[in-house]
Amino acid sequence: MNARETAWRVFSSELNTATFEIKATEEKMPSYQLSRLGAMINRVLITGVLTEKENVGTADEPMWRGRIQDVATGMIYINVGRFQPVAAAVLATLEVPSLVTVVGKVKSYTTEDQRTFVSVRPEHIVTVNEATQKVWLLETAQSTWQRLVAMKKALSADDRSEAGLTAAGFGPAAAKGLAAAIAQYGTPDSESFLKSVQAALRTLLPDKNVDLGLPEDLADTPEEMSSEPGEAKAEGTTEDQEDAVLSLLDELDTDGKGAPREDLERRAEADGISSMELEEITNSLMDKGLVYEPNLRYLKRI
Amino acid sequence: MDEEFEKAVTELSAQLAGLATPEQIRTELDKFLNVYKVSMNAAKSGITKKYKKDLSTSVGTFVTGNAVAKNIADLQGTEMNVDIVGKIIYVEKRAINVKGIPKNIVSGILGDATGTVPFTIWSDEVEPAKGEVYTFRAAYTKKWNDKVQINIGIRGKVEATPDVKIDNITSSVPASGNAEAPAVKIGDITDTVRNVTVTGKVLSVEPRNITVKGEAKTVYGGLVADESGKIQYTAWNDFALKEGETYCIKNAYIRSWKGIPQLNMGDRCEVAKSAATVAVATATDTARTVAEIMKVGGGLDIAVTGLIVDLRTGSGLIERCPQCNRTVLNGECRTHGQVQPVMDLRLKTTVDDGTGAISIVIGRADTEKLTGITLEQAQKMAADLGDPATVENRMAALVLLKRITAKGNVMSDDFGPQLNARSIEPMPTDIEAEAEKLYNEVEASL
Repeated sequence: MNARETAWRVFSSELNTATFEIKATEEKMPSYQLSRLGAMINRVLITGVLTEKENVGTADEPMWRGRIQDVATGMIYINVGRFQPVAAAVLATLEVPSLVTVVGKVKSYTTEDQRTFVSVRPEHIVTVNEATQKVWLLETAQSTWQRLVAMKKALSADDRSEAGLTAAGFGPAAAKGLAAAIAQYGTPDSESFLKSVQAALRTLLPDKNVDLGLPEDLADTPEEMSSEPGEAKAEGTTEDQEDAVLSLLDELDTDGKGAPREDLERRAEADGISSMELEEITNSLMDKGLVYEPNLRYLKRI
Repeated sequence: MDEEFEKAVTELSAQLAGLATPEQIRTELDKFLNVYKVSMNAAKSGITKKYKKDLSTSVGTFVTGNAVAKNIADLQGTEMNVDIVGKIIYVEKRAINVKGIPKNIVSGILGDATGTVPFTIWSDEVEPAKGEVYTFRAAYTKKWNDKVQINIGIRGKVEATPDVKIDNITSSVPASGNAEAPAVKIGDITDTVRNVTVTGKVLSVEPRNITVKGEAKTVYGGLVADESGKIQYTAWNDFALKEGETYCIKNAYIRSWKGIPQLNMGDRCEVAKSAATVAVATATDTARTVAEIMKVGGGLDIAVTGLIVDLRTGSGLIERCPQCNRTVLNGECRTHGQVQPVMDLRLKTTVDDGTGAISIVIGRADTEKLTGITLEQAQKMAADLGDPATVENRMAALVLLKRITAKGNVMSDDFGPQLNARSIEPMPTDIEAEAEKLYNEVEASL
């Protein structure tokens, strides 16, 4: 039966780290991005703020790229080409920023240096209101939590193979996904997913002081302390790091077009700045008006 | 004649030396290639086959092979040529119509130590006797309703094999024969169930006149229910069923139509009034998750609650044929040609409850209720903007991520389950309460 693929509700933290692709082995068989929590993702449902859009194609044959911020400072990349005419038509008319819901297929792309980027190819994009966003945050937090619980249970099983997990009471799809995720990635870093859940709960329960008691070092990371973009700025990023990034930008901007983000990430990592921190720093620099993005994959000093 | 032709003649002449003259081959090859436009390879193998009777010794393109002998339990349903030794458990002669020509065939059940299997002999030249052992030679097998069947066609033979004794037959189908079918609750019946015994209240009885094998016959159809659910039934004989009475229905069989299981009361069925009081699940629809529905395939009066995650094409403002009610494109109906279409509204949604996705089709009234856009407004919107697709987009923004409860009958096909909504209720989520519940749960387990 070619039943329709479930539209998974996942946060950017889970989607962007779902780098392993379970490729289709037969015709008409769907392919999946395997999440670290065992979700076999073919289609997703995401909601967030469309923060950027850019036509990287031509006026006649548009190819849209955009970024959606789902929770805290998490980002999801979207690509809309000519095979998504409905979504392309909508995206062309959308204002940035706006609150949107996207249903789409998940695609991954691996660079020459073996870094994998996960993006969404929307089938539908619609603008939504805050009430709808809250529904999504709740649903996604709930299902992420369920996957965390299932993963914990699976990890404690004696036999973590698909057959073993089926015997332990998991359903066929769950057993397959969990076994594959454990084999592929090992024990997941559940904190990053919990932090997304925490950020969602903070938005949903603004009057409560939501604190999941995550380890200090992680809770201290500014992007997780705030559910609003922008608020996170500067606090955690030292002037030193910003200077380091600025000098890297100078160095990498060889042709005046700006520094390729990939190169920047690689160099920053060598300097001990993680890609998440880098995102933070560049956001802060952009807020200060020191750098801008001539397009999505480049960063340039002003 | 070209080079290829001559080469083939030489090749075939060598292969068929003594069986056909080069002249014969030349004529044949010409006929295959030029009259019937057959490809060279096919022509070659056709001619080889025609003249060379014993292909197993030829360089041969065909592998005929001898039939494989198999036990009944090992049959796959794909065998083309298989020998089976078994005892006739049941046999009957039947008259059928093949393209208007009456024909007698023999069918029955064959058993061995590994299992039982239904068979059909597509002629009445042999009529195996019940209780005797036979060898079914060069049989082919097929699957029907996921059950393997043996067929004896023109090539096949059925030979008495009296020197083989088969005593301990294993029944593959426990419910066949005289054994009583297991008692089940109606709600547990899936389309993989075969024979059942149910106790339920007959909610409706309607006679239908049909023609079976050229004879007029009255059958009875309706609904029967117990506390777990209800099911459509067909009584192929008059069991004097009365509406409102509770019956114990033994040895009924299940057939599914598009994933909806239906209860059939046939010749082997016994119906007796039951004193049991059955609390019928009529008032409420059975709430099910999508995962549960997928397991069963379909059902009646099912309630599903989930989020609308997608609106598929064919939603919004649509045109229907005034005669057949099917959707039309550009005023042209597939069966009735150019028509004056009737405008209508509908939503073809995908609803996801986290356990799976189901297609839910929502009619005009509920579409208006969910979107707040009436048919008239939709028509005006389409006219104002000059594009009917705008209605679909507008509606998508209004319904996506809405939580609804849809009630109706569920059917399944290759694209998964589909529910045709009889009613739709918006089911707003109590976000704060749910979020607090989740927070407490997460906090407690950390």
